[in-house]
This record gives sequence, structure tokens and C-alpha cells, in this order.
Amino acid sequence: MKKFLAILLISVLMLSVLSGCAATGNAAGGNVIKIGVFEPVTGENGGGGFQEVLGMRYANSKVNTVDIGGKTYTVELVEVDNKSDKTEAVTAAQSLMSSKVSVVLGSYGSGVSIAAGEIFKENKVAAIGASCTNPQVTLGNDFYFRVCFLDPFQGTVMANYAMESGAKTAAVVTQLGDDYSSGLGNFFLKAFEEKGGTIVAQEQYQTNQTDFKAILTNIKAANPDIIFAPSSIATAPLMIKQARELGITAPIAAGDTWENTSIIDNAGADAEGVTLSTFFDENDTSNVIAADFVKGFKEYLKANPDSLSKNGGEGVAAVSALGYDAYMVALEAIKAAGSTDTAKIRDALAKVSYAGVTGAVTFDENGDANKDMAYIKTIKDGKFQFLKTVKVG
Amino acid sequence: MLRSMTKKSTTLLNLTAVVVLVTLLYLLEINKNSFGMAVSILQKSVILSIVAVSMNLLNGFTGLFSLGQAGFMAIGAYITAIFSISSDTIDSVYYTSGLAPWLMSFKLGLDVFPSAIRILFGLLLGGVVAGLFAALIGIPVLRLKSDYLAIATLGFSEIIRAILSSPQMDQITNGSYGLKNIPGFAIESDFLPVGTGSLLVPFAIAALCITFMVMLIKSSYGRAFMAIREDGVAAEAMGINLLKHKELSFIVSSFMTAIAGGLLAMFMRSIDARTFQISMTYDILLIVVIGGLGSITGSILSAFLVTASKEWWLRFFDQPLITGGITIPLFRTGFRMVVFSVLLMVVVLFFRRGLMGNREFSWSALLSWPKRMPKAKKGANKRG
Repeated sequence: MKKFLAILLISVLMLSVLSGCAATGNAAGGNVIKIGVFEPVTGENGGGGFQEVLGMRYANSKVNTVDIGGKTYTVELVEVDNKSDKTEAVTAAQSLMSSKVSVVLGSYGSGVSIAAGEIFKENKVAAIGASCTNPQVTLGNDFYFRVCFLDPFQGTVMANYAMESGAKTAAVVTQLGDDYSSGLGNFFLKAFEEKGGTIVAQEQYQTNQTDFKAILTNIKAANPDIIFAPSSIATAPLMIKQARELGITAPIAAGDTWENTSIIDNAGADAEGVTLSTFFDENDTSNVIAADFVKGFKEYLKANPDSLSKNGGEGVAAVSALGYDAYMVALEAIKAAGSTDTAKIRDALAKVSYAGVTGAVTFDENGDANKDMAYIKTIKDGKFQFLKTVKVG
Repeated sequence: MLRSMTKKSTTLLNLTAVVVLVTLLYLLEINKNSFGMAVSILQKSVILSIVAVSMNLLNGFTGLFSLGQAGFMAIGAYITAIFSISSDTIDSVYYTSGLAPWLMSFKLGLDVFPSAIRILFGLLLGGVVAGLFAALIGIPVLRLKSDYLAIATLGFSEIIRAILSSPQMDQITNGSYGLKNIPGFAIESDFLPVGTGSLLVPFAIAALCITFMVMLIKSSYGRAFMAIREDGVAAEAMGINLLKHKELSFIVSSFMTAIAGGLLAMFMRSIDARTFQISMTYDILLIVVIGGLGSITGSILSAFLVTASKEWWLRFFDQPLITGGITIPLFRTGFRMVVFSVLLMVVVLFFRRGLMGNREFSWSALLSWPKRMPKAKKGANKRG
């Protein structure tokens, strides 16, 4: 019996190896160009990562061919899950490299992007980040680009907004060991103090912490005019609820990650009045491309009930728009390069100019998109409502 | 008869295996572009096998159930990273508050040595610091029994992680922002093909570490460890100094774990404190249990099997599968982990003592494996 089982186990393993090879083997033939999707679909950032993937899938369903040197290539998305974890990110990125993708899109979450950046650089494959806002992602890495703005910019935007709304004192809450949260909090802090504001409390919490009573009590005692608490989506509703339970009435503000309906669903009425900065507004009709995208994306969601429910309704998240833009920018670069050679695509990418859903995209020498505008949104009546745009020169 | 293989033929087989392995690794690493995935998986596996063996030394051979591995790995990883990141790029890594001046001048002083020496220095220093920590916390903690020891070491590992990522450590560990630009294993030289060393270096270091632990286990110390595992009171009655031997095992294990942590930093090229969460310890515990508590070759084998199946072989489960125009349900992101868990359960159910039990690999057993299966079962049940 045991012998039989041992042989069975071994054959199952062998079989999986074989089918793994087969799956990668048959796609290589024909005129196919592969684009890697490097995103977290599970783990801490799974929710937001999936919305970004949806934007890329929609873009792929809309334009799934590209002309390279007179030949039409079919674009195939190769998706890997980096599980919001740096250790996984390295092997996930490596598996994209071994499926011979020509360019990589992603990831949601700066930490995993930084970790995978070295792999992409080593293999000379360009990567286009959609919503990874930490400066370290592209700094010193010639192969990493991104279509969104950066944390120093976002921190300044939120500090400006806080000052404009009359706040003189602020409290900053960040997640220990998280480069997105700590980085953004730090940039906000610097910008806020530069403009003459005072930081009255600085608190940190651990990853996966669920009880924030201790730090919130300190904040309550400091009585700030505004609380800036950039965090992951999973943490946000817990913190908002507990703050309100403790009787803290100061407005709570955060960064782009908070634009996710699950926060409203979980925090309920307590989420009212939360403000955040983001990349895109679905109700902005001034941009024709954006209006088209919103319409098409909603239809795409309706056609896929599974995606619709995971997206948390029909709302169009900024990260989906950025995912779409990243995909389109990649196609532009492939077209301009006129080759499937990854190094040539990288060089073409550096010179690409594309009018996207989230505004015009051109890259500076670091590979960051030249963007100078952010959208401020607030939660009102259980919905994200556009408040205003902020430009920083 | 195969079973009565001579010592000479075993040595011959061992030598052949080493030569074949080295050639294979060399061929893989110089063709890194085509075998990227295999190289990554082998690197990660061999690093985890060091931690697994050192955890086995503690848990399997000395009977101390410690869950502090992630903390010791973090110490090793951070120290190795700080000393191996080149001084030219360090300012861009510590972009918020800069590196502490005393550390910077120490690093600049070390720059007279080639990078390999600096990395080796970092690895060893990481190991020594982790060993010191182990010695210190060992004095109170090792007096605890089983579950309490596990909880105490678990707490220690979390404390280390919290300290490393605290804002007060910004100038040393870069706090929440993590470290990047850590050099990889490949030796950069004009005379060697690109990628040389990316496998041979970690394998050589792992071989050194594991050989040391094997020699320790085979020495009189090792026999004392096993006596403590079987019955502490009886061991003490036989004249074995309990605390001294437990400390020794704990320190050696922590030292090796920290070395592996340093190698992991080089493998990942960028680290932050969240890498060393408690789930990392569980991953290693899983490897040790699957391989068999008390079997060194079992730990090594299972480090490779578990890593490869988790990260590589099962990955196709995450891709949508379309056969003959029909999309087969279930094949989607995350399904891989479900299949992996089921496989684990099957292994645990049918190999209750792990793949190898407390036996070790031997050529004669391998060559006569199909015949000996029923007997091996009887042998595995002998203990306990």
C-alpha cells in the first residue's frame, strides 16, 4: 500500500512537471508576444492588486494584437501572483522571466516591485509599474518605469490639502516595516512641517495588527486637526472604526490605496468624511479617453459577474485605470521598438509619449511618469465623491 | 549483494555524485538565461536547507522546540546586507535619514577589501551576532520546557523584527524602508562566464555549514544532544551538563540560521522586516517535519521538494487551463496553494514521521529501495 502510494505521489509530481512544460511549450509557437502581469491577487494587497489586473485584462480584451515590423502579433497576458510578499515576489518574477515575457506590468505595492526590480534588470526586461508610488522602485533601475505619480508628490498634495482645509496640527500613523505607508507618511510629515504645520503625534503599528486602541488613545490625547494614516486596504476600516468608537472626530486622510469600496463596506457610516488622494476620477468628463474607458470597463465588468463581485461593484478604481494605461503604454513601446527584443522595447519605452486615461504619459530620466496633478476624493453618502484636483508644480 | 556495499564503493558513489552535481550546477548557472527558474529555485532551496538542518539540529536532535528561526535569519540578513551593499549606492538606499556616520566610516574602511571578503565578513558577523543573542537569551529561555520554549523563542523573533523596523533604527537598518541593491551570488570577473558562482557559491557555503552540523551531531556532543532529547533527567544522571549542551546546540543552530539569512538577503536582493515574519519560521518547520525530525538528509531533500513544488512545479495550477475549447474550472490564481496543501496532507497522513523518518540517506538503501519498502516501515516504527 505504502509502496503504491509512494509511486503514485511521485507520478503525480512528475505529471505536474510535464504539464507545466507543456503549458509553456505550446504558447511559444505562432506570432505571440507575451506580457507579464506581476500583481498580488492574494495576501495583504490582494484586493487592490486584483482591480489593477482587471484594468489590464480589460485593456487586453480591447486591444489584443500589435503590429511589429508588418506582422501582427497576438498579445498574451501571463499572470503571476506575488502574494504581496517579497520572498514570493522574487520567484514569481523569475517565473515570468522563464515564460519569456517581453515586458512586465505591475505591481500593486511598492515593496514587491522593489524586490522584483533586480530580477527584471538582470534579465534586461522592462517593467511598467501601474500604482507603485515609492521612489525606490525606479531609482537606480533603468528597466523600471511607472505610469503613476510618486509618494513625495502625493505626500505634498495631501499636506497642501490639509493646510487648505484649515488644519494646523496633524497626527501621522504608519505601518512599521512597510515602505509604502512609512514612506508616504514621512513625505507628508516633511511637507506639512515645511508649510508651517505642527505634527503632534507620530504612531506606528505592526503588519496585521487589528487593535489600534492604544495608538488611537495617544492621538486622541494629542487632539490633532487631521489624521494622516496611509495603510493597506485591509487595515483601513479597522482603524477608521476604532478611531470613531474612541470619539476622535478629526478628519482622517490617506493615500491612493484607500480608494477601494471594501473600506466603505466594512467601516460603514464611520467612513464618512475620509479623504484621500488618487490618480483618476471616473466622473471626470473632461478627458474623452477616460470617459470611453469608464464606459467600456463597466460593460466589461457586467459581462463578467465574477470580476464584478471581486471589484466590489461597478465603481472604477484608479488602479484599474492605471493598469489599463500601463498595458497601453507597453503596446506603444512594442510598436515603436518594432521588435520583440526586450532591450529594444526598454529603449522605446523611455521615449514613449501616450495620451492615457489618467493623463498624458511621458517618462523622465528615472522612468517616472511626468505627472503633476492628483485628485482628492472624499467618502460621502457611502460613495467616493470627487472633491477637487490639486496641482503641484 | 547491494545491501552489503563496501565502504570503497560508497566513497566512489559519493565522489561521482559530487562531481556530477558540481558540473550540473555549473552548466545551469552559466546558462542562467534559459534556466532562470531552475537556478532561482535551487538557490532558495539550498538556503532553506541550511535553516532546515539547523532547525533540525535543535528540534530534531536536541529536542528543543524553538520557533525563533525568522528572528535569527533577520539578524544575519540585515548585517550581511549592510556590509555588502556597495558604499557608492548606499545613500540612495537610506534615502530618508542616511546611514549612521560611524557605520559609514566603518564601511568605507572595509572598502579596501574586495567585495567577496566584505560579504563573507558580513555573513560571519551576522552569524556571530546571532550566536551572541542566542547565548544571552538561551540562559533564561533554555530552562523552559517544550511549549514554553516555543512561545519564548517566537516572542524573541517578533521582538527582533519590531526592533529592526522601528523608526529609532532608521540610520542603521533603514527602518520600515528595507534595504535594496544587495549584490547577488554571481562572481563578477572578466575571465569567467556571466553567472558563474550564482549556484556554486550558495551550494558551497551550504555544504560547509551542513557538514559542520553533521560532524557535530556525530561527535560526542551530538550523542549528548540526543540523550537530552530522549530523556533530560537520565542524561543529567549520566553526567551531561544540560544547560551547556542545550546552549551549544542553540548557539550553533542560530549561527547557521543567521548565515542562511544572509544568503537569503543575497538571493532576494532586497529585504525588509516583513520578510522575516512568523510565517517564514512555519515554512521552515514544515520543511523539517515533511523531511522527518531527526533526519539531516530528510531536511535537505524536503527543502528542495517543498520549495520546488510550491514555487515552480505547481505554478501551472494558477493559470487558466483550456483543453479542447473548454475552460476547466478551479484553475485560477491561488489554486496552486490548495493543491500544495492537499499534497502536504497526503504526505503527512501516509508518512507520519516525514519522508525519511529518522533515517538517513544511504546508497545501499536507495539501490535496494523497491525491495525493502515493507521492511523500512517496520524500522520506522521502532522508535517512540
